[in-house]
Amino acid sequence: MEPEPGTGTGTAAAAAAAFRPPERQEQERWMQRALGTAKEALENGEVPVGCLMVYQNEILGQGRNEVNETKNATRHAEMVAIDQVLEWCGQKGRDRAEVFEHTVLYVTVEPCIMCAAALRLLKKLLFLLNLVTDIPLVVFGCQNERFGGCGSVLNIPTDDLQHSGAPFQCIGGYRAEEAVELLKTFYKAENPNAPKSKVRKKQ
Amino acid sequence: MEPECKKRKTRAISTFTWELRPVLSDEKLCEVELLEAYAAPIINTKQTSCLIKQLACLYPLNSLPHIKRVRTCREKNTDHALEIIICLLRDLNGTDVPNGEVSLSDLFPEGKADGIGLGEPFHVKIPAYQPLTRPQFEAASQHWPTTFHENKQVTDALQGRLFNAEKRAKMQTFMEKAIEAAKLGKEMGMEPVGAVVVNPATDEIIAVGHDCRNGSNPLLHAVMVCIDLVAYGQGGGVFNHNKYPNCHFKSLESFSDDHVINVGKPLLPSKDHSSTGAIVNGLPYICTGYDLYVSREPCVMCSMALVHSRIRTVFYATSSPDGALGTKYKIHTKKDLNHHYDVFKGLMKEECQLLLS
Repeated sequence: MEPEPGTGTGTAAAAAAAFRPPERQEQERWMQRALGTAKEALENGEVPVGCLMVYQNEILGQGRNEVNETKNATRHAEMVAIDQVLEWCGQKGRDRAEVFEHTVLYVTVEPCIMCAAALRLLKKLLFLLNLVTDIPLVVFGCQNERFGGCGSVLNIPTDDLQHSGAPFQCIGGYRAEEAVELLKTFYKAENPNAPKSKVRKKQ
Repeated sequence: MEPECKKRKTRAISTFTWELRPVLSDEKLCEVELLEAYAAPIINTKQTSCLIKQLACLYPLNSLPHIKRVRTCREKNTDHALEIIICLLRDLNGTDVPNGEVSLSDLFPEGKADGIGLGEPFHVKIPAYQPLTRPQFEAASQHWPTTFHENKQVTDALQGRLFNAEKRAKMQTFMEKAIEAAKLGKEMGMEPVGAVVVNPATDEIIAVGHDCRNGSNPLLHAVMVCIDLVAYGQGGGVFNHNKYPNCHFKSLESFSDDHVINVGKPLLPSKDHSSTGAIVNGLPYICTGYDLYVSREPCVMCSMALVHSRIRTVFYATSSPDGALGTKYKIHTKKDLNHHYDVFKGLMKEECQLLLS
C-alpha cells in the first residue's frame, strides 16, 4: 500500500504485486452488473453490449453501446468505458498505464477487433518496462462471431504486434447464454437506425 | 478524342512523383496453385465430342469448373491438334500406378471407355482455382487454359491506370490537406499523422483531423478523430475537439441541397463488397460512401473502426510496422467481416515519409 516514491518502475512493480486476479464468484458478480448495462442498451435501441472496468474493487468505467445516439460507429461499450477510466485518471492525476494494467474489463460479448486493439494500446507503457502480468484484462460472456477480436475472427490480444501496446489475457464464457439471448432479442427486432441492407432483404 | 487522351497520359507521368497501388486480398495476389493431372493427345479429332461426354461421366472434375477440358496442341510438329484432360492424379487413388507412368488402360477401367482416338497419356499441371486477376490468369494459362472473368477495374488498378490525371490531381490535393493537418498536429506535440474524409460524389471535404494521441486520450488517432468529426457533422459526435482547432468538420447544414452520396459503389467491384444504403431519413449514415486520405497506414483499431463506419475507400501514403491495411493484416478484405473497402497505397509516399522522419 505504500509504494516507494521515486522511479516509475518501483511504484508500478509495487502495484503489480498488490494486485490479485479476481475470484470466479466475484467475476460472476461483476458480469451480472454488466448484463444489467447491456439490458439498458437494449431498452435504448442500441446493440445490447454492456461492460464494466474494475480497478481495485472499484468501478471506474461503465459503458454500453452508444453508436446510434452518437452517430459514431466506434462508440462500443468498451470504448465508452475506457474514456471514463481515462477521465478518472486525468482527474486523480493517476498514471493511466498503471491503472489499465490492473483493471479488469467485464463485458457481455467478446470485444471486437477495434476494441481489442484499443485495449492493447492502453497497456503500452508498462510493457516497455517489462512488467507484463498474467492477470486477465478481459472477462467476457459470449463470443462475437461477426467481429470478435479475441479469437473469433482475429486474435489481437496475443498476436505479434510489437508496435501496438502489450499482449493481454482473456477469459470467455461467463454467463454467455444470457448475453446471447439479449443479442437475439435485439436482432429479432432489427436495428431501426441501421441502413437498409440488400443482403438482409434477400433473406 | 484519342490524341487528347494520349497527351493527358504523358502529362500524368511527368506531373506525379508517386505511384498508387491497390492493396488486394491475399487470394488475388497469391501465386496460382496447381494440381497434378493426366492429359492425352486426341489423335482422331472426330472423336473429340464423344470423348468429352465419356470423360464427363468417368472423371467429371466437378471441383474444377474453370478448367477447359480440351486445348489446342502447343507444339507445331506433332501428329495431333488437340489435347484433353483425362483426370487428376488424385482421382487415381487406390489404383496402382507404378512410378507415375500410366497407360490408357490404367486410366480407363475396362468396358467404361475404349480410349478410341487417344494417344499416350502425359503428365500436366492445371490451375486449382479460377484466376481472379490478369497476372494470375496469365500465369495459369501457361499451364492449361482456364476461364477468367476479367474485372477491368482491378486490371487497371494493378497496372496503375485506374485514375486519370484529373482524378490524381484531386487526390493529391486531398492528401496535401492531410499532410498540412499532420504538420499542424506535430506543432502541438502530436504524432505527425493527418487524415481527410471526402465525399467522392461531390469532392467535398467532410472532415480534416490530425492525430491527438499525445493529449488526454491516447486512442485519438487521426482516423478516430475524423470518424468523430464526421459524426459531429451529422449531429452526433463525442469528443471535445475545441482544444484542436485544426481538426474540423463540415456540418450537415452547409452541404449543398443536392448532397449526393455514392451508395455502396466501390471502386473495385467484386463479390466481396457488401453494399449498404447510405441515406437514412434523407441523412447520410456515418462514413458510408466516403473516402479517407491518411498520411500513413492505419493501425488495427483504426482499420476496424473504418469497417464499422462503412468507409468506401482508403488512400494512404506509407506503410506502418503494425499496419492493418496491408502490412500485418488486410482487415479491409477479411472475409468474415460484414463490410469491405478498397485500399490504395503510395499516394504522396515521399512527402509523407518526410513527415515521419
